[in-house]
Amino acid sequence: MERATGIGLRAPHLAQLERERPAVGFLEIHAENYLAPSTALQAVERLRLDYDFSVHAVGLSLGSVDGVDEGHLERVAGLVKRLEPRWISDHLAWSISGGRYFNELLPLPYTEEALDVVARNVQRVQEALGRPISIENPACYLAFRHSTLSEPAFLGELVRRTGCGLLLDANNVFVSAHNLRLDPQAWRVALPAAAVTQYHLAGHAVNDADGEPILIDDHGSAVREAVWALYADFVRSLGEHPTLIEWDTDIPSLEVLLEQAATADRLTAGARSHACVA
Amino acid sequence: MLALRELQAAFADHLAGRDRVDLLALVSGDSIPAAARIAVHRHHLGQSLSAALAATFPTVRALVGEDFFGRMARDFLAGFLPTQPVLAEYGADLASFIATYGPAAGLPYLADIARLDWALNVAAYAGPVRRLTAADLSAVSSERLPAHHLALPPGTCLIDSPFPLPDIWRASQPDAGEGVVDLAAGRCRLVVLPGSAGAFFVSLSNPEADFVAALAAGSSLEEAAGVAFAADATFDLSKTFARLIRLGTFAALR
Amino acid sequence: MNSSRIAIAAALAAALATPAAQAQGMTEKCYGIAKAGRNDCQTDHSSCAGTSKKDGQTDAWVAVPKGSCEKIVGGKLTSS
Repeated sequence: MERATGIGLRAPHLAQLERERPAVGFLEIHAENYLAPSTALQAVERLRLDYDFSVHAVGLSLGSVDGVDEGHLERVAGLVKRLEPRWISDHLAWSISGGRYFNELLPLPYTEEALDVVARNVQRVQEALGRPISIENPACYLAFRHSTLSEPAFLGELVRRTGCGLLLDANNVFVSAHNLRLDPQAWRVALPAAAVTQYHLAGHAVNDADGEPILIDDHGSAVREAVWALYADFVRSLGEHPTLIEWDTDIPSLEVLLEQAATADRLTAGARSHACVA
Repeated sequence: MLALRELQAAFADHLAGRDRVDLLALVSGDSIPAAARIAVHRHHLGQSLSAALAATFPTVRALVGEDFFGRMARDFLAGFLPTQPVLAEYGADLASFIATYGPAAGLPYLADIARLDWALNVAAYAGPVRRLTAADLSAVSSERLPAHHLALPPGTCLIDSPFPLPDIWRASQPDAGEGVVDLAAGRCRLVVLPGSAGAFFVSLSNPEADFVAALAAGSSLEEAAGVAFAADATFDLSKTFARLIRLGTFAALR
Repeated sequence: MNSSRIAIAAALAAALATPAAQAQGMTEKCYGIAKAGRNDCQTDHSSCAGTSKKDGQTDAWVAVPKGSCEKIVGGKLTSS
């Protein structure tokens, strides 16, 4: 079977990947891990010769009312120039305020004001990189009362204003839908399907919040059954796109990660034949 | 409702440890109350930054254990949040924080171990630089060589501590045996260098360390040798110079 | 050229003439590290079992380091 699904490249697997060069759709790195020169960056530059890459930023803070940190943007642009990745992305979230970096994807109110801020920041990043980026839907633990737009409507308007793509994280949709009591199918229907460029898949944890279950996007386990099902539904209704398996906590062996990617490949193929029959 | 600027400032304040109860009214709550929802983010912030610091300061973390380190990290980040997103560059202030951190006062060497961990981190992210070999240096006429200056690779650091840091470092490695370290072993002089697989450090004798420190400060080879001889008349310049070249201590000749 | 510079020049030249094989044969204690990606901790939420009560802001806390410091002798082990 064709290996289309990619995996998040993590430090413990770097040496084995270099040695064995396994078949995998592509590799994704967190931009912020490779902005300072290191032996790991040299390894990535060697792997770049054999694999497609996705550069996934976690710190551009596209939702910051302060605007994009120009120094950080310049460093990300330098990495993009160096690696010439096939895809670039970051999140619908903010993490910088008043010159302090909160290493957390923080929630935005979905208002016209926030839309203006995010659109301006996305445009600035796309201008600096000279190409469109994709924006990932966040895992939500809370909603602001004064939001006036739904998340898919907010993303749709962002796409319309900036020409950005959408990185659809099926696990985040599942986590947010549970935590905010939303219907994931309705969420998907409201999305601008044509803008979707990539899918992300990961595991989540079920934690306790004052006696109630709350889902945490911890990337610490295999993709859960319900998320596989939601992903299959996305593929059927929104089409096939490059898909990534992320695993950041309790990182498993490379073989386990590649098996998760193979599962996604099989599901995609299944959804494809299903769509043909239907 | 707050304007986005005020909302982010309030949220940031809350994350930094100043409880902002005014946020509660802005967040929808149901069977999971607004406070519990907001707490997820503050908890993740503490966890993730503490984990990043533990990765940058593995020896400190091994010395004090997970619980103490976690609490110390939280106390640290309350006053020293990152100012930019590259976490490999976060933690420059931890060593000086530890030096005045009351609960760590019983471990007087801990701040210097933090300096060593930080220096190794800086060297690991300093980037690969070509090192001068004996052949490179042989290109200069031997009569003129003493008047030359040598640049150390970016990320190189000299550490001078009253504590036996290499012994403490070894005893804190995951594969360390049960042997104890006597603080009475005393002072160490170390050079921390970027290496082909990350970073490394070696112990230097006092005159060796004086020699490298003088070169780092911009002295010529001749001046630096003079400093080392003044410190110790038995200083073996030839052996030291060969050793330093072998370790990759020199990046450029001026 | 004064005599001390001549001696220094000779010592440096001798170092450069050290045969490579001899230099490689010298044992050297180096202690090294390789670094993992720190920003992967972005999503390192594994130990957030409790979400509301464990953010470490208010709990009473006993300051006792427990780790390899127990192997370091000749200094005080706790601040008590």
